[in-house]
Amino acid sequence: MYNLRITGLFTLKKTASRITVSLILFNIICISFLIIPKGYSASEEIESKFGDAPKIDGIINISTNEWNQAKKLQVTLNDLPIKLWVMNDEENLYLSVQLDLLPAAHNYSEFVGIMISNSSSENLEDFIDARIVQFINISENEFEYFDYSINNSIFKNDTINTGNGAARLEDISSTYEFSIPLNDINLDDEDASVEHGKSSAFMIVYGVSPYYPSGIRKNITVLVNIASLSTITPLFINSTLFILVIIIFITLGALYGFYVYKIFTLKNKIERIKH
Amino acid sequence: MPKIPKQTLKEVKYREKYKADEKFAYRSTIISVIFGGIFLTVSLILNTEFITLFLNQNIIWNIVDVSIKTVVILLFFLFMITSIGNYKELIGKPLNWKELLLLIFLSIGQTLLNPWVFISTFLGLILIIIYLFIVQEI
Repeated sequence: MYNLRITGLFTLKKTASRITVSLILFNIICISFLIIPKGYSASEEIESKFGDAPKIDGIINISTNEWNQAKKLQVTLNDLPIKLWVMNDEENLYLSVQLDLLPAAHNYSEFVGIMISNSSSENLEDFIDARIVQFINISENEFEYFDYSINNSIFKNDTINTGNGAARLEDISSTYEFSIPLNDINLDDEDASVEHGKSSAFMIVYGVSPYYPSGIRKNITVLVNIASLSTITPLFINSTLFILVIIIFITLGALYGFYVYKIFTLKNKIERIKH
Repeated sequence: MPKIPKQTLKEVKYREKYKADEKFAYRSTIISVIFGGIFLTVSLILNTEFITLFLNQNIIWNIVDVSIKTVVILLFFLFMITSIGNYKELIGKPLNWKELLLLIFLSIGQTLLNPWVFISTFLGLILIIIYLFIVQEI
């Protein structure tokens, strides 16, 4: 094992103690800003994040960093823990629900739905829209996506299906993905209005038979604050930062190579200095 | 016959100690630069997001992800500064502020894609510098 030997690291001595104290104080201030607790209200409040649109196919593709930018949290549908991922882009809100159940516990015609309130109100009568991904045959991964409007707890098929949904069961885990259009021009009042920069209440429902709402077994209401368009980090900033990082790594690589070369010629240099 | 001054025992011991120190410092320089290179490679893979360790499952995995990236950069900095410090000692010059600032700048530069890694690395670097400063002064 070797020791830290950095003789002559610091040559500045006069103002050294002042600098040290200033740095310690600066550190304490910075850390104190990081320890601000985050509070939650009665229903879960989620800040949706901007990100690249995922492919709605029931598969989370890790190799392409799909859903990587989403807000990810664990919530409980009554007694059923689920993973809920939320993100949006300029056009759609994306939600993914993942639940792990023993193979025998997965129902043949299991479904997950998103009921959408027309505002941030969580009253049951304000949920006027529903998107449901219904397994037709879960063992064959056959599913259907439905877009309903709700009137007095009666689910009615929309004349135009908007958004998209998909599901897939793999081992014990079933993954449901939804995309819901944002700022959609809603002429026939079939869909709830979901907009950038606004909060909307969503009810995540889980059921075991294709009857709505009687088939619903578990649910949870969440409030999603959809990121406004102004919070998008412009693409050129991301690209610039990426290019900068690459330049820094190339510089580091070049300097590292040069330094290694200098070390190998160090012995000769020491001999020259000695003579 | 010319007179050759006899080396005292003290001088011989001093020379031997000096040679041993020199050998030790050279070895330390090489070992540190190898470790520095390893951590630089790991940092390149993680901090350019060429490979994503965790798919941001939740806040805990986020913290683990940021911590790993930060620790890799800090270890790179620590090994490189050790190596450069020893190298400078071997050639009889002190490590100056310009070299130190360049290393800090290049370490911080690796974090630009993640603001949390940036903040934690920045704070970590300050702590390391304070630690090294105190160690040197004592």
